[in-house]
Amino acid sequence: MTLSLFDQFLSPVMFWIPLVAIAITLPWILFPGPTTRWVNNRSLTSQNWLLSQATSQIFLPINTPGHKWALLLSSLLIFLITMNTAGLLPYTFTPTSQLSINMGLAGALWMGVVILGMRTQPTHSLGHLLPEGAPALLTPILVIIETISLFIRPIALGVRLTANLTAGHLLIQLTSTATLVLLTIMPLTAIATGTLLFLLALLEAAVALIQAYVFVLLLSLYLQENV
Amino acid sequence: MLSRLVFLSANSLRSSGLIGAGLVQASRSLQTSSQRLAPVPPLPEHGGKVRHGLIPEELFEFLYPKTGVTGPYMLGTGLIVYLLSKELYVINHETIYAICIGTIIVYGVKKYGATVAAFIDSINEEKVAKAQVAKDSHISFLTEAIENEKKEQWRVEGRGMLFDAKRNNVAMLLETNYRERQHMVTNEVKRRLDYQIALQHLNRRLQQEHMINWVEKNVISSITPQQEKESIAKCIADLKVLAKTTQAKAAA
Repeated sequence: MTLSLFDQFLSPVMFWIPLVAIAITLPWILFPGPTTRWVNNRSLTSQNWLLSQATSQIFLPINTPGHKWALLLSSLLIFLITMNTAGLLPYTFTPTSQLSINMGLAGALWMGVVILGMRTQPTHSLGHLLPEGAPALLTPILVIIETISLFIRPIALGVRLTANLTAGHLLIQLTSTATLVLLTIMPLTAIATGTLLFLLALLEAAVALIQAYVFVLLLSLYLQENV
Repeated sequence: MLSRLVFLSANSLRSSGLIGAGLVQASRSLQTSSQRLAPVPPLPEHGGKVRHGLIPEELFEFLYPKTGVTGPYMLGTGLIVYLLSKELYVINHETIYAICIGTIIVYGVKKYGATVAAFIDSINEEKVAKAQVAKDSHISFLTEAIENEKKEQWRVEGRGMLFDAKRNNVAMLLETNYRERQHMVTNEVKRRLDYQIALQHLNRRLQQEHMINWVEKNVISSITPQQEKESIAKCIADLKVLAKTTQAKAAA
């Protein structure tokens, strides 16, 4: 089982049966639904507590009509965090390192938010294309720039997540390859590379959580503008 | 976790026609979750015992009779060596990374595991404590109510004594009043009778005086002058005799 550097990014297939659906849906077993107990076990209590804290934090600045999006954004958060952190384990496939999944999520959600804003309060939504306090002369250029920035948002959202995860995973692969190769040639350098790998792994763990949170936070910001 | 899958799949199997029902019955020994939802079945206090965080204790107990304490460890070592020697598991860059991330995870769990567990337990404890406070306050309120009720019942027992005392009081008042009035009646009657007696005495006295006066008057008027002279002479003679006898006595 010799691995090339890009084998981890291939959609998983076993005997020509695609496993990507299982890779995406199987982690949901880790999050059981409401139980018939009043006091749950530790894992359920921690999941409930963390999710309620995160959701209340994200939805603090959003007004009441926007709270209809709570279920969608909280489940999105859990999805991204689970996919990212599960991808930290060796020999796993990270679905969120694929542009297809991230662009699907980002594009659909961004478009939903913008259309919602345009339909319910079109003037207010269009008003965001001209930031406050800008001098009157710059209005035409500013509107063009703001429109471009508006349409770049889904691309930015999707590509940010993909690039972060792909880059992180790739760096880890490279550093661990270097460590493995140097282990027989220059052991001391291998130790240095190993330390670098260790720090990288810590960074990747942080990035996994942060990128998921940033994705959901930015969506909530776009929602705040438009709802 | 897998038992949950079995239970869910059992549900879907049950509805999938002829073979489904047979499969459910045949696999009933494998279904570990409870088959009823009410009353809520009790949960075990602690999870299954695990050695080294991954391997269930049941494996060690299973192998102990034949291979003793070191059996499972030999099995593990043998497995790993077999996989490596036959190159079923190839050491590649992911192995280095696996060692790395394994170290991080184990270190994280060992260092922060107890703290996180204590925090989560505290969340649950708070929830239970709130309910306990409500329950305790309700129980104490009811106990107090019972005490008050008993006190009221005791008070009711004393009510008879209170009424007796009041009844006595009223009876005494009535008695006193009656006696006063009786006293007054007696006094009045006595006054009237005294008056009648005084009247009678007066009558009698007047009669007596009148009679005495009449008798004296008649006697005096009946005394003739001659009689008067004779009686005076007699008196003088008596007096002389008396004087003589007295002188005689004095001289003797």
